[in-house]
Amino acid sequence: MADQHTVRAYDKDLDLLERRIAEMGGLAEKMVIEAVDALSSGDAALARQVVETDARLDALQREIEEQATLTIARRQPVANDLREIIGAIRVAGDLERVGDLAKNIAKRSVKIGVESRAPRALVGIRHMNEFATELMKDVLDAYAQRDIERAREVWERDVELDALEDSVFRDLLTHMMEDPRNITFCAHLLFCSKNIERIGDHATNIAETVVYLVTGSTLPTERPRGRPEADAEADARGANK
Amino acid sequence: MGSQAQTLAKPPVAETEKVQVRGLNFYYGQTQALRNISFNLYNGRVTAFIGPSGCGKSTLLRVLNRMYDLYPGQRAEGEVMLDGENILAPGLDLNLLRSRVGMVFQKPTPFPMTIYDNIAFGIRLYEKLPKSEMDARVESALSRAALWSEVKDKLNASGLSLSGGQQQRLCIARTVAISPEVILFDEPASALDPISTAKIEELIDELSDDYTIAIVTHNMQQAARVSQFTAFMYLGEMVEFDDTTKMFTSPRDKRTQDYVTGRFG
Amino acid sequence: MTAASYSRRRTRNAIWTVLAYAATALGLVMLGMILATLVWNGFGGLSLDVFTKNTAPPGVVGGLLNSIVGSVIMTAIGLALGAPIGILAGTYLAEYGAHSRLASAVRFINDVLLSAPSIIVGLFVYELLVAPVGHFSALAGAVSLAVLGAPIMVRTTEDMLNLVPNTLREAASALGMPRSLVIRRVAYRAVMSGLITGVLLAIARMTGETAPLIFTALGNSLFAADPRGPMSALPLIIYEFARSPYAEQQKLAWTGALILTFAVLALSISARVLSASAKQK
Repeated sequence: MADQHTVRAYDKDLDLLERRIAEMGGLAEKMVIEAVDALSSGDAALARQVVETDARLDALQREIEEQATLTIARRQPVANDLREIIGAIRVAGDLERVGDLAKNIAKRSVKIGVESRAPRALVGIRHMNEFATELMKDVLDAYAQRDIERAREVWERDVELDALEDSVFRDLLTHMMEDPRNITFCAHLLFCSKNIERIGDHATNIAETVVYLVTGSTLPTERPRGRPEADAEADARGANK
Repeated sequence: MGSQAQTLAKPPVAETEKVQVRGLNFYYGQTQALRNISFNLYNGRVTAFIGPSGCGKSTLLRVLNRMYDLYPGQRAEGEVMLDGENILAPGLDLNLLRSRVGMVFQKPTPFPMTIYDNIAFGIRLYEKLPKSEMDARVESALSRAALWSEVKDKLNASGLSLSGGQQQRLCIARTVAISPEVILFDEPASALDPISTAKIEELIDELSDDYTIAIVTHNMQQAARVSQFTAFMYLGEMVEFDDTTKMFTSPRDKRTQDYVTGRFG
Repeated sequence: MTAASYSRRRTRNAIWTVLAYAATALGLVMLGMILATLVWNGFGGLSLDVFTKNTAPPGVVGGLLNSIVGSVIMTAIGLALGAPIGILAGTYLAEYGAHSRLASAVRFINDVLLSAPSIIVGLFVYELLVAPVGHFSALAGAVSLAVLGAPIMVRTTEDMLNLVPNTLREAASALGMPRSLVIRRVAYRAVMSGLITGVLLAIARMTGETAPLIFTALGNSLFAADPRGPMSALPLIIYEFARSPYAEQQKLAWTGALILTFAVLALSISARVLSASAKQK
């Protein structure tokens, strides 16, 4: 028994999926970083570039789904091959959503434009984004290496991102209360922080997929949460994780 | 996407063992073909046996109804318990055993008789029935095999005049006519076209309500479709025995995984 | 393929085809000539008398009744003796013996008997059944016919049963059928027409044997139906009348030959028809 399929075209099909996912991952990472850079620096050109990249990401996702469907029809995959293909479909979906979230941040940064800015408010957002970017990078590495330990770490660290989001929220509220001229700007930032928190969620989804792919079993459905008060606030905001 | 997914059509029942095999070794003359095989066949369930050519799956099946007894030089050692009784014991009434454990072969083998006699013949071995009752039994056997509607007007035609798929269903009808408890299928559909194969698979699904079924197949998708338990055999050993869903989504042994995914080396 | 080698192949093909056809034609012509001679010489002698009157000395109008009856009786008894032995021995060789040393020995002896000179068989039966009792008998004749016919049935039965696929036997055993029933109800039935063909071929041989009957049944100019005494038979009477100087007896010999030939022909054709109709099922 070998590591390669007797029918080598099968291996080629699976390799193609893997390469496309890697491409999507790289693009998504880049988009996340550049979106917040555009937000902080007010660079409209960069923001537009991010928006355009999203089209490429969407195309990649469609391509991956097509390739996966074709492989299922052709090869009737079972066991680890089946989990690989299902995993690829799920990860592609998550990455596409990450791209959309980054695009939304970029679009918002264009909208902000020449509004009065409160640079101090941006600190928290940038911090969040660095964290989220790290999560994405680590989980994509975990996926490439099929490393379940690393995936589990990402899955657990998302709690910190949630906590960060809470602190950014309070921070922004404070800014808005201090100076009403900041309200527009900070309101936009609120949405951006939500998007970044969602990016973290998708990173945990990908982490769950990695574990499923390797072991065939799932992580527990309830992730460790932030402080319980954070849940009540989340409910109050009408936003549910 | 957990392995908890309920794919059995039947409600979960406490599994009772119909056949228990313990430490089975089998020899063709000096050559050992089965090594220390142990597993259970559960009541009312379909168990599939898969593995590459020469792994011993057909040999194993033929131990379960002592078909190997027809050939000198073949012998089995160990225990095979049918409802607690060891069928490898010398002096066992083989004909009685085979009335409880039926077998359907790869190549359809209708007897050179009419369709009616093909079924009645087996029944007459064990029971003396008046014609009306025999007619009813023949009809019920053919219905169970999903063949009645196709042959009810030509019961006196020769069994050999049917198509391949129909002949195989005739052999299945013949086997269920004598009311066995266990039915062994040795690659029952490998000589048939896809439509006949689908009909046979449907039949096995229906039959499993009342019989304990073991099926040897080299078609892994068929094993995945048809069975609740699957055994993977390799070079005379039973490498893995598991729930079918587990075997085909996350098998435990690397050899099993390599085989089911097509990494044959 | 070059044009030259292709035309060489075609030529060779043509030559062999012609040779094959020619050989067939030769065989058919021979058969045709035999039948034609028989019909030409014997047909004229066919009359109701042939079938109603016994053989008579020259000068008296006679027939072949006692010879025909004698042939029928001796063949029937020979079949009754030889068929069970032949079929059961063939069954043993195919079903039970297969590879044992005894089976190999039986097969060998059977092959020897198949081609044993029939006159030797006649002499053997003479020593056994004629000399000790002091007189010739149709029974002895039937025994010698059985010895000659049985090997045919052994061989045919064994060959036919070997054609039954093992899967069929296994399928019957898998229902719990005991061995003897598997053989009788399934194996025999599967090759019934083949078995019957063997029997018909044996009959054809038996009716045609002359030499052994000379030493055992001897022949009888009177009508005889008692197997314990000498009896006439068609081959015997053909042998006798063909050497006779009298024209009417020679004529009867031809007629007898015609009857014998067409009886055997009819048997062979029946055997053919049987196996063909069995194939259609």
